[in-house]
Amino acid sequence: MKTIGVTIQVNNEENVLQVKPYETLLETLRERLNLTGAKEACSMGSCGACTVVVNGTPVRSCLVLTAEVDGADITTVEGLQKDGKLHPLQEAFMEKGAVQCGFCTSGMIMTAKALLDRNKKPTKKEIVKTISSNICRCTGYKKIVEAVEDAGRKKG
Amino acid sequence: MILPKFTYKKVKSVAEAVAAYNSHKGKAKYLAGGTDLVPLMKLRLSAPAAVIDLKDIAELKAVSRKNDGWLAVGANVTLFALKNDPVVKEYFPALYESLDATSCETLQMRGTIGGNILQDTRCLLYNQSLEWRKARGFCYKMGGKVCNVVPNAKACFSNYCSDNAPSLITLSAQLRFVGPKGERTAGLEDIFSGDGRRPLTVEPGEILTEILIPLKKTKGAYEKLRVRDSIDYPLAGVAVSAKGGTVRACVCGIGLKPRVYDLSDMNEATVKEAADRMYGDAKPVSNTVLSAMYRKKMAGVLFKKAVKRVLQEG
Amino acid sequence: MKDDFNIVGKRVARSDSLAKVTGEAWYTADIKLPNMLVGKVLRSPYPHAKIVRIDLARALKVPGVKAAISGFDAYGIKWGVFRYTQDHAMLPTDKVRYIGEDVAAVAAVDEETALEALSYIKVDYEPLPAVFDPLESMKEGAPQIHDQYKNNINIHINIDVGEVDKAMGKAFLVREDTFKAAGEAYAMMEPYAVVASYANGYLDLWMPNAGPHVRAKALSNLLKKPVNRVRIRHINSGGAFGGRSEVAPGDLVASLLSIKAGRPVKLVLSREENATSSRQVHDIITTIKTGMKKDGTIVAKDFRVILNGGAYSSTGPIATSIPFYYFEQSYRLPNVRYNGYRVFTNKGIRGMYGCHGRAVLAGNEVQMDLIAKELGLDPVAVRLKNGLKSGEVTATKSKITSCGLKETILQTAEKTNFTKRWGKPKRYKGVGMGCVAILCGFPMGFRSGSSCYVKINDDGQATIVTGLVDNGQGNESMVIQVASEVLGIPMKDINLVCADTEVTNLDPGAYSQAAAFVGANAVRVACENARKRIVGIAAEKLRVKEADIGLKDGLAYSKRSPDKKMPISWVVRESFFRGDPVIGTGSYFPKIDLEREWVSRPWGQMAGTFSFGASVAEVSIDPETGKVSIPRFTAAHDCGRAINPMAVEGQMEGSIQQAGVAAITEGNLWDKGHLLNPNLLEYKVPLACDMPEMETIIVSSIDPEGPFGAKEGGINIRANASSAVACAVTNATGELFEELPLTPDKVLTMLERKKGVKG
Repeated sequence: MKTIGVTIQVNNEENVLQVKPYETLLETLRERLNLTGAKEACSMGSCGACTVVVNGTPVRSCLVLTAEVDGADITTVEGLQKDGKLHPLQEAFMEKGAVQCGFCTSGMIMTAKALLDRNKKPTKKEIVKTISSNICRCTGYKKIVEAVEDAGRKKG
Repeated sequence: MILPKFTYKKVKSVAEAVAAYNSHKGKAKYLAGGTDLVPLMKLRLSAPAAVIDLKDIAELKAVSRKNDGWLAVGANVTLFALKNDPVVKEYFPALYESLDATSCETLQMRGTIGGNILQDTRCLLYNQSLEWRKARGFCYKMGGKVCNVVPNAKACFSNYCSDNAPSLITLSAQLRFVGPKGERTAGLEDIFSGDGRRPLTVEPGEILTEILIPLKKTKGAYEKLRVRDSIDYPLAGVAVSAKGGTVRACVCGIGLKPRVYDLSDMNEATVKEAADRMYGDAKPVSNTVLSAMYRKKMAGVLFKKAVKRVLQEG
Repeated sequence: MKDDFNIVGKRVARSDSLAKVTGEAWYTADIKLPNMLVGKVLRSPYPHAKIVRIDLARALKVPGVKAAISGFDAYGIKWGVFRYTQDHAMLPTDKVRYIGEDVAAVAAVDEETALEALSYIKVDYEPLPAVFDPLESMKEGAPQIHDQYKNNINIHINIDVGEVDKAMGKAFLVREDTFKAAGEAYAMMEPYAVVASYANGYLDLWMPNAGPHVRAKALSNLLKKPVNRVRIRHINSGGAFGGRSEVAPGDLVASLLSIKAGRPVKLVLSREENATSSRQVHDIITTIKTGMKKDGTIVAKDFRVILNGGAYSSTGPIATSIPFYYFEQSYRLPNVRYNGYRVFTNKGIRGMYGCHGRAVLAGNEVQMDLIAKELGLDPVAVRLKNGLKSGEVTATKSKITSCGLKETILQTAEKTNFTKRWGKPKRYKGVGMGCVAILCGFPMGFRSGSSCYVKINDDGQATIVTGLVDNGQGNESMVIQVASEVLGIPMKDINLVCADTEVTNLDPGAYSQAAAFVGANAVRVACENARKRIVGIAAEKLRVKEADIGLKDGLAYSKRSPDKKMPISWVVRESFFRGDPVIGTGSYFPKIDLEREWVSRPWGQMAGTFSFGASVAEVSIDPETGKVSIPRFTAAHDCGRAINPMAVEGQMEGSIQQAGVAAITEGNLWDKGHLLNPNLLEYKVPLACDMPEMETIIVSSIDPEGPFGAKEGGINIRANASSAVACAVTNATGELFEELPLTPDKVLTMLERKKGVKG
């Protein structure tokens, strides 16, 4: 079957790729670009562990065909650091104990990042609503919410 | 979990989409947000030869007030964008609530109002992988000869689980389709076939282009039954909208078709009578989490809760 | 024990969190090795069937397929946790016993090729009658799942202490109730995956596991290879909760494929396969009879517990016994009888779980509350009266040393105004309390202890080497924190090599609540041995007494005149010069009765110590829908001492989610042998919006044996949170639960029953 040519910006780097038409963005990121931060935890869009940011919007990359996002600007967790400095969310997640097994973490952080980018000072209620898109099995979410609140304060 | 093989085409107009559909002799599927289609493909419940991406069609993304007193919502408007359009909260509170209650925030940003309406019906024993279904045996909806939930049943009991169709129905919404055979308009409540194998009377190749809602202020509410307060589909969903002297209620999530109820007002007697009718009309089977008997009871209970909130607003 | 520590007891960012927030942390499915193949498993579509023939020939012809195997390629060994439960071939050759069982597998150059090859494997089955309900399974005439277990009874645990019937006869009040709970799913976020790489006579493996040494040993038996040729390597683990403790069919599959193909093989399970074909949690039916005095003293208890074990033994006697032990280690039971039956059915294999036994634990507590109500007593008073104290001995002869149970009960009761609110609950609102004790380590024979080795570089950084494993709870960071305290070297200057069977020594694993008490203890001992050497040289060089030397921030200094100091790096260099480098080794073996046996000799010191805790849930019920909301949850855990309080809080909060909120949302649903919700949409793991406001309290009883007084910090609340919720619902409704989870439909039935409404 013929591949499709796409050009995607991933973490500020241009990637010119030939992908299968039925290839998901998650597969492209993990298998072709070796960006394994986004995880495959359910494959069906039920859990958010695969969340990356596409043109500013958080998406479940397991439900998106790479062909659909030709020309898009994509950020993954690996692209959050700037010049070796951690993003406030990354720092806050560490300091607040919001990371346990870590498997949901990249999706959680990217979902929160998209929130902070569109809403500089989210209320606790807004944060809970946003991260209720993502399943965590370890933390009970409390420290995740605290970390996002903390990052919001620092960023804003 | 990898997808089955298919070709992909991104189109820029409705005409181009229909032409692409025709060129695949009916073995194509339209793709908008993909939140319904992609999981179905992963489960091998859908395996089109081609996927036609409609997201670049600009006219399908607009929300506009028409001169004849209707609001036209492009089918590709995302649930999140529609929820945040001030006209929705102001005029159609039932729709605002159902949009807010749909799935979770991330998926609201991806899912479209058209896709939400056109979603396939669901059943615990249907929405499973190919291996799972081979082990269990194929049911009517999969092309088999039985219902796996109700022994000896001659029909399919899968559930139509859109949160927004019931509220749109209470707003008397209409749908505009464009397809190989031309254009048509249909009332949203009229597109349900009652056949689980093909639950919607959408012609092959038809594209839902816009949803038309009479632009009149309403009072309304949407009550959703689910175990968790995010992500979950409705186990039952009841919408109520009232404008002027008319009240419309719609029960969804139980069985193949939403059921519409027109009431003259919301006094104690009419509400009780309607709730009892909703209870009687609801015929759920054990194809979801929570018991069927319970979901049946909730049809009337959710309606009463919705009415209570609508009256409080007044 | 002094309390002014440098780093122990402080909230620290965990050492593993940086790699996890940057996406750099590797999990098994992230591994890419040169020439790696993709493995895929063909699974049984039948719950019970004879295997007549497996034909791999056509599959092997698919271009790009490099190996195909079935049970006929294995070595005929059956594995079991115990010698008397060796019933699991991993890949069966006689018959399949559950839908989803591994039957055959291929390794190919990519996933599409592997799937195509699977479709060409021909398996001839002869379906057999199957049985799914444990009560049906125990009856005469039921299909026999294993030849060697009569009436499908895998394990029968019988414990009989005192004179139960006599005591019941003399009791003021006797009550008997039956409780049920659906089995849960572990639903860890990482689906099971294995990478096996066989080359030059050595097999290397990576997989999320809770005990690499027992895993390597099991595989070495299954593959008939010596243990030194089967090396399980360190990899991050995306949650275990008890479901990653034992060797898995996937481990054998990947190993056999790699050995055959001569290339590394990666096998990644889908979410569905993780649910059907890795461990599930037991569903349980229990009948509990309790005799009490008028003043609330428990005089006798009689438990009958039926656990649905699924198709193979798994942990067998451990799972069958544990609900009893959690209870007998919390409360004084002068007369107690326990009959636990683990029964086979044609369902997936059930293992130990952090929240294991919720039917028994919640049933106990709910019944106690109802008896208390009848007696006009307060549940807090009843728990305090019957709760064990330091120095006491349990019914099966385990001595309790450190015990903060009373503190945990009093603090949670006070913070929630429990007694007043329980006594006069507002309409449709309730409070409930659950208490439990958790054993820190199981008796595991010679595997009950842990060892550690420390080396220090001439620049003053250290590396600690321990068999301890981390599944996400923070064990790695914990031992670095302990090492940092003892060695006086900052955490960032300490490297950790752990959970690698080539390098690290035996450790009991993370599934027996032994990581702090045993694993970190061994690290402490090894570091103290290294510390002695450092102190000795420093004292000599600084010309002060050894007792005067302190170690902190990489420096050795005189406590009396802190100006007298030298970097630890100098001390280490000096030790190299002397031809006697600073090397620390140490072990810790808990003081347990090694004669104890789960079935044949169930008494004697079970564990080195026990953690204690209490949870209080506050619930509010919508009387129209039966939906329970949990606005607030308060939990107190006596973990001895929290090495990292932030990590212990995180475990408590996670437990409130996984056991407390789960009590109203979580349960596997079955249609005979078919699991109806093998996914994360219909299996309801609570979300952020479903969580209560949480308050967590750490009680520090300072255990005499634990490292810095620490005991286990991860399970206690997991084992009493569901009890707290069930008790709160009982307080709100006046009714006992029939079956967990208390989903709205079940609660509505409870409310209707109360009103006398039928159906």
